[in-house]
Amino acid sequence: MGKTFAEKVLAQKAGLKQTTAGQIVTVKPDRLLTHDNTSAIAATFRKIGVARVADPTMNVIVLDHVTPAADETYATSHQATRAFVAEQGITAFYDIGEGICHQVLPEKGHAWPGAVIVGSDSHTPTAGAFGAFAAGIGRTEAAAVMATGEIWLRVPESLRIRLHAVLPSRVSAKDVSLYLIGLLRADGADYCSVEFAGEAISAMSVGERMTLTNMSAEMGAKNAVVEPDEKTFAWIAGRVSQPFTPVYADADATYARIIELDASTLVPQVACPHTVDNVAPVTEVAGKRVDQVVIGTCTNGRLEDLRVAAEILRGKHIAQGVRLLVLPASRENLQAALAEGVIADLIAAGATLLNPGCGPCLGAHQGCMAPGETTLSTSNRNFKGRMGSKDATIYLGSPATAAATALTGVITDPREA
Amino acid sequence: MKATQITGRLWVLRDAEGTLYNDIDTDMIFHNRYLHITALAQMGQYTLDNLKGWEDFARRAQAGDLIMAGRNFGSGSSRQQAVDCFRALGIAAIIAESFGAIYKRNAINSGLPLIAFPELSICGVRFQSGDTLTVNFVTGEVLRNGAEPFQAQPFSKVQLAIYEAGNLFEYGKTAER
Repeated sequence: MGKTFAEKVLAQKAGLKQTTAGQIVTVKPDRLLTHDNTSAIAATFRKIGVARVADPTMNVIVLDHVTPAADETYATSHQATRAFVAEQGITAFYDIGEGICHQVLPEKGHAWPGAVIVGSDSHTPTAGAFGAFAAGIGRTEAAAVMATGEIWLRVPESLRIRLHAVLPSRVSAKDVSLYLIGLLRADGADYCSVEFAGEAISAMSVGERMTLTNMSAEMGAKNAVVEPDEKTFAWIAGRVSQPFTPVYADADATYARIIELDASTLVPQVACPHTVDNVAPVTEVAGKRVDQVVIGTCTNGRLEDLRVAAEILRGKHIAQGVRLLVLPASRENLQAALAEGVIADLIAAGATLLNPGCGPCLGAHQGCMAPGETTLSTSNRNFKGRMGSKDATIYLGSPATAAATALTGVITDPREA
Repeated sequence: MKATQITGRLWVLRDAEGTLYNDIDTDMIFHNRYLHITALAQMGQYTLDNLKGWEDFARRAQAGDLIMAGRNFGSGSSRQQAVDCFRALGIAAIIAESFGAIYKRNAINSGLPLIAFPELSICGVRFQSGDTLTVNFVTGEVLRNGAEPFQAQPFSKVQLAIYEAGNLFEYGKTAER
């Protein structure tokens, strides 16, 4: 009987011959990712009464959520995190400016095929783009992992999504994700491991694959994975120093559901307020006026995303009355985009450049909305009140849709830009 | 040993049209503007204040009350406050058709009872706010107003063990002994 990726990777990690969906296993994760919430986790950790973290090389800590600190409260929290890092001898610490934790984790060599990664953030599944098992956990649990070095996991059921053929021009991984979430709904993959496969996935860059695994959190997935290939190995070369064993699902594995899609028929998609599964083709919402456009975040702030935006905006200027915020996902992405002239093009077109980090996505700073305002964002959540006022609205789309929308001031089909 | 059967007053989370809320996300439960709060005692007051029609829930709720909602309760971010705010108010259990994956783990690990009731919207009964509900965590039996029994899912083994210990940390201590 064949096994899924999740069944195989968790068996390998738990030292068992095999596991089956539904089984509870205890594993020692390879990495524990935490961000600005490290200070709160550290406080919980201290209450447990253990002096030292179980394994300081397991911890990866990235300050990204509200960076630089917006006020004294955040500054004090960051200060507590830095003190904890120094006290515990944690070396994989990335202070403000390095980027978003889900981008920095792989860039700094902390994600590899067959790794088991847990993180105190719901978008931890992003690292599945490298063939890792990566799942989000809560703060209490992160503190427990710090103390014990172990975690209990229920081996998830799996869902396989096969994307045949190739995507049309100006239709991207983000559109695939939004289409799938519209199809499956916000709980369509609850507790499940989502495996992405097929010609269109193979054709995608590693960055685009990260968009898919990132967005899988919005269909309720516990983790999502893209099987490693030459592109994966080339991406992590020089970053990952330790030996690893890639894990591939068996051809005859048992799936809760298999979804087959023809990529060539897809059109750009937009998630409308106030849920990510309220999805429509861009043509149905075209013409809706926006006040702000955001290009960036852990979903779409990578070099390939910024390139697409620059291609549409180069030599032109955003519409009057529209604010365009651009925030690269990491310092590495910012430097690459600077070197290519992409940033210069975006700024010349009227963009406001923000530092690498989460920016306005979680509504704490750097572009919160006033009542009645509308933002089209390349981020992953459009929950009511997510980016400032409860009486503001958020639409989600691809970088191409965002750039086309910034040019006109109304939601625009990027195939026409 | 903690009680594995509880009785309490029910709040059914419905919208203005009377439809049971699905997909109540962590931003509706505990909005991101309060994320800097880490003290349990300060969390209760903001519970559900971004869920339309339920903004004043924290003032209406009493310790021992129960909550009922539809599918995918607690979807969205991994924020622990979305679980802890209910603990701060003394909410005895949350009953829903299904829960967000991370939310479920957070609640189990914090010792907040979650009852999955997959048949909720097809059982043909309209539960009302103010109903008295008795819930048995071991059998999954839900008794409405002392008369109408329903079958929800019992706690899983891990869930029950962690709940009986108090939370994940206490459970860890007992496991190591």
